Amino acid sequence: MRYFSQVLTVTRWEFSRFFKPKNEALGIVIMLAISIVGYFGGKYAFSDTEQKMELSVVNHSDTTLSNFLSSRYIVKEVPKDEKADFLELIRNQKEGILLESGSEGFVVNAYKNTRAISKLKADLTDYQKQRELNKIGLSQIELAAVLSPAQVQESFIYSDNSAKRVVLSYFFAGLMVMVVFLCFAYQFTAITGEKQLKITEQIVSAISPQVWMDGKIYGITLTGLSSMLTYAIMSILGGMLFFQFTGLPVSSIFDYLYLPSILIYLPFALIGILIWNAILAAIASIITDPNNSAKSSLMMLPIVFVVTSFLVIRDPDSGLALFLSWFPLTSATSMPIRWAITEVDIWQLAGSFILLVLTFYLLRKLAAKIFRVSILITGKEPSFSEVFRLSKQA
Amino acid sequence: MVEQIKKTVLKVNSISKDFMNVKAVNAISFSVEQGDIYAFLGPNGAGKTTTLRMLLDIIKPDSGSIEWNLNNKPNQVPDAEDIGYLPEERGLYLDVPILNSLVYLATIRGMEKADAKKSALDWLEKLGLADRAKEKLQVLSKGNQQKIQFVASILHKPAFAILDEPFSGLDPLNQELFIGFIKEINNQGTTILLSAHQMSLVEKIANKLFLINNGQEVYNGSLPGIYQSFGDKIIIELQLETPFSEASFQNLKDIESIDKIDDFRVKITFNLQTNLAKVLHDLAKIEGICDITSHKPDLHDIFLQLLKKK
Repeated sequence: MRYFSQVLTVTRWEFSRFFKPKNEALGIVIMLAISIVGYFGGKYAFSDTEQKMELSVVNHSDTTLSNFLSSRYIVKEVPKDEKADFLELIRNQKEGILLESGSEGFVVNAYKNTRAISKLKADLTDYQKQRELNKIGLSQIELAAVLSPAQVQESFIYSDNSAKRVVLSYFFAGLMVMVVFLCFAYQFTAITGEKQLKITEQIVSAISPQVWMDGKIYGITLTGLSSMLTYAIMSILGGMLFFQFTGLPVSSIFDYLYLPSILIYLPFALIGILIWNAILAAIASIITDPNNSAKSSLMMLPIVFVVTSFLVIRDPDSGLALFLSWFPLTSATSMPIRWAITEVDIWQLAGSFILLVLTFYLLRKLAAKIFRVSILITGKEPSFSEVFRLSKQA
Repeated sequence: MVEQIKKTVLKVNSISKDFMNVKAVNAISFSVEQGDIYAFLGPNGAGKTTTLRMLLDIIKPDSGSIEWNLNNKPNQVPDAEDIGYLPEERGLYLDVPILNSLVYLATIRGMEKADAKKSALDWLEKLGLADRAKEKLQVLSKGNQQKIQFVASILHKPAFAILDEPFSGLDPLNQELFIGFIKEINNQGTTILLSAHQMSLVEKIANKLFLINNGQEVYNGSLPGIYQSFGDKIIIELQLETPFSEASFQNLKDIESIDKIDDFRVKITFNLQTNLAKVLHDLAKIEGICDITSHKPDLHDIFLQLLKKK
């Protein structure tokens, strides 16, 4: 009972130290402000003007081109002998586009490359396409029929209806990675900071290294999850706003929130986060000075395994995918993705999860042992072999 | 008068600890009784902190055993609520309000949050820091930070407090203040085990002593006992005009030892039976003595004397 109450006290302490609602709210406000400015600014910057653009064309005999361009531009004819003067005018005034049509194609003259040039090139491509279609006597509808894919009706014995399941599994994989990275910063501050402030000895004289380690893992995991939850809620609200703007129904979001899938993915993600927190805590326990320790780079380890776990997408039924969905450092993301895109027996799902839980149980014990032998080593940072040797003795 | 039999709350049986090839602690044994202020004395590197860490199970002894019996709970490791610890390497959360830190450290030792808060505020009041309870520790002066660290170790009113070098880094005024605090918590029922190397301060509060050097016991017993056993000497300190030369003191009789303090000061130890009149007569014959003082040996003198014997 004392173990639980002490772990709870340490968990609460770590959570309250690092989860600051005021800072989270400020972060959200700043993020919202940047998003709004970005959205409307971008929309304004890339919006197509209603007004027709002015286009100067060197006199030519192709009336089809003139008619085509007139429907999209304010076309001004420039006599051939005035071409050189007009080009000089473009150079001086730094604006204007002069189009010249020839047997080899088109020549576009402008002061510099702009979006208007891209639009003109696209329009000229349209024109050429139409001209070539007319030559062979093909209409636009007939062309679409030629280019359309074959109509194939699919019928499978195993129907997983997985599209939304996959999206949700990616969401949880992404959530796990983001939480682990948030926790990475907190673990560093919490553990190496406490060592540098010389608080550790005071703490471990009151509680066992296991209580200390468990409290840190749970408290910081909770902090990371709370931050993520805040951002997830904000994303959903943002998504709802997006759907509102685009005219799509808000309920589109809820289509993806399929409860049975959430009940499977969430425990995998949660234990995965706890496992990585235990590993990060063990590494941080060995580090004396985070600014000068080569071991700090080990904190990037989770990204390697998470990226590897995504290999299951290529062939979810391969031996590699099977291994990744059972191996505890990848299974938290691999198994839910595999379950989403292929047929996975329920016993596999359960077995992989039990292995994941067992791994966490053992890793937190190992982390506490490493912490116990590392705290009293002062001065030089211990090497992995020293920690291993001392852990065996402890 | 019948002496009251006190309960033994800590019994250490021949514990040893090696670090690589260094014998940090070598088969030491001692016991602490309820209500004691037990001082662990020795120079830096003598093995004091290693011993204290073994008592708290922060490190394990290679051999020997430790038996605790606090609040009638016999065990090898004391319960967190029964023990207070001020480590030699001090530290607290600098970026957290003082009151929060104190309450947290008391609650992990089993104190109720409300009681911890009340007790913390009482102590802060006593230290004149009540109005700064919500400030972060980093804004306090070093002296005030040390006071907070001391309070953090005893806030939960433990049955036993281990204070590792409590006077280290304190100015004389604060040393006296800490002596007062230690006496106060001892009067309220907390047994104290402290380590120190400032023997003059320990003499003021301890009732029992353990002198340790190179991990080995030098003396273990009561403070009056050490004076009775080893204090039967007279020490004469001489101030010299010219640098000390041993040849000048060759003719002195009944000398136990001559110790050079520095080039111009020397300390001569005599037995109590020595004829002081004769000593003074002999000293008068030595040229260049500009000052003479005499005193009975203090703890520092006895410690050095015992080291020589070892």
